[in-house]
Amino acid sequence: MTRNAALAALLVGLALVAPQVALADTSITLQGSTALLPLIKDAASIYQQAHPDVKIAVSGGGSGTGINLVAAKAIDVGNSDILAPAHPELVDHKVCVIGFAVIANPNVGVKNLSKKQIQEVFGGKVTNWKEVGGIDQKITVVNRPRSSGTRAVFTKTLMGSVTATETGLTEDATGTVVDVVAKTPGAVSYAALSGTRGKGLLELSIDGNAPSDENIYDGKYPVWSYEHMFTNGPPSADVSRFIAFVTSNSALVKKDGYLLIREMKVKEIDR
Amino acid sequence: MIATQAKRAHAQERIATTVLRMAAGFVILAMALLLIYLATEGLKLFVVDHFSVFAFLFSGDYQPDTHPGAAIYIVGSLSVTLFAICIGGPFGIAVGIFLSELAPLRMSQILKPAIDVMVGIPSVVYGWLGLQLLVPLIRNTTGSPGFGLLAAGIVLSIMILPTVITLSEDAFRSLSPTLKEGSLALGATRWQTIVRVLLPSASSGLTVALILGIARAVGETLAVQLVIGNASQFPHGLLNPTSTLPTEIVQDLGGAAQGSMLEHALFSMAFLLLLIAMSLILIVRFALRKRA
Amino acid sequence: MDISVNPPVSNPTLLGSAGVRARRSTDRLATVVLWGMAISIIVMLACFVLYLLVLGVQYMTPDFIFGLPKEGEAGGGIGPEIFNSFYILVLTLVMTVPIAVSAGVYIQEYARPGRFRGLVQFSAEALATVPSIVMGLFGLLIFVYFFHLRFSAIVGAMTLTILNLPALMRVTQEALRTVPDSLREASMSIGATKWQTITKAVLPSAIGPMTTGIVLIAGRIFGETAALIYTAGLSVTTNSPYDFSLGHPAETLAVHLWYTRSESTVPDVARIGNGSALVLLFMVLLFNIAARVLGRTLTKRLTGKSS
Repeated sequence: MTRNAALAALLVGLALVAPQVALADTSITLQGSTALLPLIKDAASIYQQAHPDVKIAVSGGGSGTGINLVAAKAIDVGNSDILAPAHPELVDHKVCVIGFAVIANPNVGVKNLSKKQIQEVFGGKVTNWKEVGGIDQKITVVNRPRSSGTRAVFTKTLMGSVTATETGLTEDATGTVVDVVAKTPGAVSYAALSGTRGKGLLELSIDGNAPSDENIYDGKYPVWSYEHMFTNGPPSADVSRFIAFVTSNSALVKKDGYLLIREMKVKEIDR
Repeated sequence: MIATQAKRAHAQERIATTVLRMAAGFVILAMALLLIYLATEGLKLFVVDHFSVFAFLFSGDYQPDTHPGAAIYIVGSLSVTLFAICIGGPFGIAVGIFLSELAPLRMSQILKPAIDVMVGIPSVVYGWLGLQLLVPLIRNTTGSPGFGLLAAGIVLSIMILPTVITLSEDAFRSLSPTLKEGSLALGATRWQTIVRVLLPSASSGLTVALILGIARAVGETLAVQLVIGNASQFPHGLLNPTSTLPTEIVQDLGGAAQGSMLEHALFSMAFLLLLIAMSLILIVRFALRKRA
Repeated sequence: MDISVNPPVSNPTLLGSAGVRARRSTDRLATVVLWGMAISIIVMLACFVLYLLVLGVQYMTPDFIFGLPKEGEAGGGIGPEIFNSFYILVLTLVMTVPIAVSAGVYIQEYARPGRFRGLVQFSAEALATVPSIVMGLFGLLIFVYFFHLRFSAIVGAMTLTILNLPALMRVTQEALRTVPDSLREASMSIGATKWQTITKAVLPSAIGPMTTGIVLIAGRIFGETAALIYTAGLSVTTNSPYDFSLGHPAETLAVHLWYTRSESTVPDVARIGNGSALVLLFMVLLFNIAARVLGRTLTKRLTGKSS
């Protein structure tokens, strides 16, 4: 009987103490955009080595999730590829510039497409690579889900009013898209450069301009956007320090395949 | 002394009953909350956004911000489920027959743990295996992208096997042995006995097995999402990439802004899944009542 | 159970011998086909195990099993993910077992047939068929959006608690059904109360099948994925491989396998995928073996009889 009582007391004690222990340390939770995830994860692990008392947890889940959760105060920072006009209470911290490439399976025999050809391919009007100068191979368009920030940028900068065809595949993240395009003959898609470089994929030039850092900085290559970190109101001192660490760490930004805001010679509205 | 002891025992009994009753009540509470919450979120599309229920169920025009007709995903879910139950159903029932009528003890001792392991394999591992083994196989033999209805249907057929096998074995075992003995004594072969006597008598139990198989298939998410191709189009053939209700939820919920029509539509799909699951349970209850 | 291979033919005069032969060969063919189907299941399972073993065993190094995951570069491990799988499993069981066993005991031993019992049973059945993605969304709605909790170990565990309640309740009920009524009557006749009868006599004799059931369900909790994506999250705290805090995101191994394939930016997806899948499969086998062994030993020790 006493043993049972002791056990019960122990359990109750644990139940009361555990949450306190859990909340005792400084922790920063970030969530959202998968396109920005590699940079934030990388920055977090370096930052924590210098600040062992700070615990940082970073998750993907998509830009929308990030904005929703930071607006609900469930997380400290929401990472996003897109702006959050519906939430005026959120404070925008621009982190970096991210470039996107139109990627294709390496065997399609095409290295360059004009903007119009891209609209025809992704709009479903052109269904074989030979119609745009490539080999005789059916085109498989790999889309991102409609809620994806990457798709929003792609649509805004290249597709205009043309709707993308839904007859191909839809995959929900950069990594998957890269894998599927590499393995599927005739596949074409769009993905963040941070996730496509060095994967043996064909990054198509658009109107003769390759998706290089220089072309993006000069404004010759149009498919890019800002990456945002949103906080609900002004950030706390700890969160603020970490955001400053990410935005100021240009070596890290470059290493992970992103571009620096201060190098941009064009603005978002120039496109 | 004895009186106080009896009193204490009585008090103990009362407390115990109350606590146990509360635990049982918790189950009702959980289900009720689930229903209320999903209904509240799932009906917002119709109440707040004034989108028509008819268009949601029957329109194939899926414009997330203006016109989220979910027919593509409903048809997709029905197609993969139908495929899975057409392949996995008969196969599972056959193995159920094998286990109850044919299998020697040694074979049962191998097969049953194997089926338990199949139940335990996480769905994401099934999806991963489908992705690694099945998709390339389909891609190389047909020249299609490999992702699609066929791949998803095969993966699901395998995943529902344990459910169908276990429940159909139970259905055969619960039959009275006199049925079988009578048929055999009349000169029927074992096969004739199975087809003409056992199958019809076990039909309500087998219905339950198939329906719970359907329940497992219709809600499966990640295994399907990894291999189906997730295209927002009606399946025109077995090799066509398409989507189901759960895969569309996983694909788009992450990016859906709170309060947007897309988010409401995704919760409507979840609510629809819940309603499907509950109606399957009602059918099971009906089938079991018929048996009893 | 074994039916004779050559069933008696009762009326050879009425049925021509050709008919008999045809019927017998159909019978034999059917037997062969059924055997083939049964064997194909075992072969298929063996293929899965072998495939993952061949592709995954080379990665079973301490660096992989205990290492931290990486993003954007190759060589990440799955240490925190394995830990989180166990951590969420333990948290879930700590919450589910008391509730589910109590509810099971109530329904099986206490409740009289009536509206309350019917409602509990219907709720349990309905809850059992709720797809796990729907349960995940419920967890998101109630714990994250309503209570403003973060994606975390505890939110994941609470969601899994509701998801697994019905299965565990069923296990309890079935285990209690194996206990003969004579035991209950004997205990009551020596003056024990109902509660004493259940805790001292009925539950101990049901402990074997109950343990088997619980461990099998534990195996399923270990591999749960869809319900955790929007509740426990897709990340781990990057500076501690073993994060006991309840409030931090706790990506489990099964979720990590999906995440690696779907969202991550690592170049070695196949390595992490095959390695994680092998570990998951190994754990499933382990849980299955443990379930049987534990169930048998406990039954023996607590009742002095073998099951």
